[in-house]
Amino acid sequence: MTTQVLSETMPNATRFSVRTALQNAGIGLALLALILFFSVFTEHFLTPNNITNILTQITINLVLAVGMTFVILIGGIDLSVGSVMAFAAVVAGKAITLPGFGPAEAIALAVVAATLTGVACGMINGVISAYWALPSFIITLGMLNIARGAALQVSEAQTIYSFPYAFEEFGSAMIYGVPVVFLVALLLVLVAWFVLNFTVFGRLLYGIGNNEEAVRLAGHSVYWYKVAAFTICGFTAGIAAIVYMARLNISSPIAGIGFELNAIAAVIIGGTSLSGGRGSVIGTLLGAFIIGVLANGLILIGLSDFMRQMITGVVIIVAVVLDHYRAKYASK
Amino acid sequence: MAAASLAIMPQTTESPAFLSVQGLKKHFGGVKALDGVSFSLLKGEVHALVGENGAGKSTLIKILSGVFPYDSGSISLAGEEYRPANPHVAKELGVQVVHQEFNLLDHLSIAENISVERMPTTRLGLLDRQEMNRRARLALDAVGLTDVDVKAPVSSLGIAHRQLVEISRALQSKSRILILDEPTATLTERETRRLFDIIESIRADGVTIVFVSHHLEEVFAICDRVTVFRNGISIGTDRISETTPDGVVRKMVGRQLAATANEADPKRTPGEVALRLDAICTQANPKDKGVSFDLRYGEIVGIAGLVGAGRTEILRGIFGVDPLRSGRILQAGTEIRFAGPRDAIAAGIGFVTEDRKDEGLILDMPIAANMSLANMRAISRTGLLQFSEENRRTREGGARLKLKYGKISDAVSSLSGGNQQKVVLAKWLGRNPKVLLLDEPTRGVDVGAKAEIYAILKDLARDGVALLVVSSEMPELMTLADRILVLAEHEIQGELTRPEFSEENILKLAYGQVRQAGGQTQ
Repeated sequence: MTTQVLSETMPNATRFSVRTALQNAGIGLALLALILFFSVFTEHFLTPNNITNILTQITINLVLAVGMTFVILIGGIDLSVGSVMAFAAVVAGKAITLPGFGPAEAIALAVVAATLTGVACGMINGVISAYWALPSFIITLGMLNIARGAALQVSEAQTIYSFPYAFEEFGSAMIYGVPVVFLVALLLVLVAWFVLNFTVFGRLLYGIGNNEEAVRLAGHSVYWYKVAAFTICGFTAGIAAIVYMARLNISSPIAGIGFELNAIAAVIIGGTSLSGGRGSVIGTLLGAFIIGVLANGLILIGLSDFMRQMITGVVIIVAVVLDHYRAKYASK
Repeated sequence: MAAASLAIMPQTTESPAFLSVQGLKKHFGGVKALDGVSFSLLKGEVHALVGENGAGKSTLIKILSGVFPYDSGSISLAGEEYRPANPHVAKELGVQVVHQEFNLLDHLSIAENISVERMPTTRLGLLDRQEMNRRARLALDAVGLTDVDVKAPVSSLGIAHRQLVEISRALQSKSRILILDEPTATLTERETRRLFDIIESIRADGVTIVFVSHHLEEVFAICDRVTVFRNGISIGTDRISETTPDGVVRKMVGRQLAATANEADPKRTPGEVALRLDAICTQANPKDKGVSFDLRYGEIVGIAGLVGAGRTEILRGIFGVDPLRSGRILQAGTEIRFAGPRDAIAAGIGFVTEDRKDEGLILDMPIAANMSLANMRAISRTGLLQFSEENRRTREGGARLKLKYGKISDAVSSLSGGNQQKVVLAKWLGRNPKVLLLDEPTRGVDVGAKAEIYAILKDLARDGVALLVVSSEMPELMTLADRILVLAEHEIQGELTRPEFSEENILKLAYGQVRQAGGQTQ
């Protein structure tokens, strides 16, 4: 029984520092191994062009996964993010093509429209599942259909296009070969990391995921924190819609089908526990990279897209099994 | 312990034991749940098992019904070794249990529930609904529920009727031993009498009945013999005709009637009324008569009573966790209403809950995070965590309670039970509460830490904090409290002042032995 050996000023002292760091290190190692593997066995993997490619490809998933991390941390799930993204994109597409606005105003309007749409959908998910204490799985499954239907209705099932040129430029802009949209996603990761680790709000989200009742009995309104988590997830779906529009220069009502599953996969591979309370957004970043690197590398290696899907599936299952043992080990 | 094993030699004057338990032991981790239990059941008798909470009755029942295996000792049933691998085997061998908590499937019909273990089928292997309903009808008639429709869902029944359905289900299979765990806890007097009639008729068929009850008058009304348990040991078996309720209570308490220091703490002087409870009725309280008492600053009031007496519910009601059905709470003369724990905390109240794993702590989170959970404002500025302040407070709180830990970033789950409990205390002490509610404050805590926690609580009272302590451990209440309220069936049965403190007095009130005398003691 050693007593009071304290790291004096490190903020880490009050977080799950060591465990999370080890966990992230493990996932990071897995990612490095993958990168190493593909660098050795393919010619083009470690080329600047391909790296830019990968960064572009994982951006939307990463944005969605950041919001998903908040929801999964409180023990929830959001199946609606793919549809909400499409709905937000369609609403923003309508806004950006409104006549009578200059490019700057139109883009600003689109950004506001997309984020508000996402926030509204997320908030509805949160309010309903938290107020009636219903499983978010079902509520967001409902929202998945509602948002998809709404996207088709608003767009009359037509793809919206001809956006301002500046918008298109933003979508394909690079800084030293790094896509600007990826930097946006990275910024989101940093903000989320800060919120989860350095604010009362983040602390209580972890608390709720671990033991909701203890948090409630300590005088906190669990309800609002849950609503907030879902709202954040909706917000990131709105941001993902912007990225999507800027990248492809269209708003399609059938965009984002199945994206929720990739986002959930990134979070889980990143070591966040599906039952909540354990995990980190840095893990999610690594998880999104693993999925992206796998997808890219396996195709470069010459495997079919079908094989790639199968292998990604295997990775998800392996990640969850590993997580099971990690949780068991941790509780000992 | 030697005395215990002597007391249970099979009575040679009677017919040979039908079920005989010898030196039964059962450990859960380091906790001895049963530490040498021996007794026997005779064919066709009604045998009572009594003892305080945690004396080992429930564990014994679970072993007999095949839920847990036993570590050592022996059980024989009708001359053969009895070691059921699972509840199904136990049932096959004719040992049936009607559990205290209901095992009914709410959304299925009464008939389906009654037949759930063995559904009748037609020749085609399909469910024979007619036969099922017919059987259920017979079963319900047998327990006197002639006016209940067997096709109604169980969820439409009141609690007492559910209990009877449960009993009728147990009677479906041919049982040789029927164990009734607190069967009357939810029954009214009329239904209890009906149950006793049923027990008589089953007994007449040669079935042995084990009757677990907290109500000694019931035990004396229908049982032939009674075995007393204390701390996982069987103390002895008596014929009902040869003992008295007082004699049974004395056995439950044991000889260790520790000479408790019955003088009050001179440094403690109860001050103003902190909380006045006026006819508080909790949701769990079936009656309209509520609980009223005053809690003063600088005093420790203990609440004693058996499990199910409504103790925890009162604390939860005060703290605003569960809404009150009726009654008022007054603070400084004005009525207060708490919509939830947040309001109660704002009013200076803290609540150390009974179950630290489910309600008190976030086990996987660091010590520091747990300590600041109820006091986030003190360790944050505009929503940002101030880690140095949190660390300082955690170290301070830890030192105040002599907490033994490695690093404050360690998960609470790495601490011993006693130290975990100290973290729960520290969480509330960090807010300097004016009123502290404590539910079983030393459950699962080792002796050393217990003494430390007592010292902390006494210090708090000296500093003018009002403490309300619920505990099943009578020595604990007698050590801490200035006065003890004894609760039974959601009513205060009596109030004991320090000179009157004794386990016997508490138990008498808790078991309703002196209720007739108007709650007077001694």
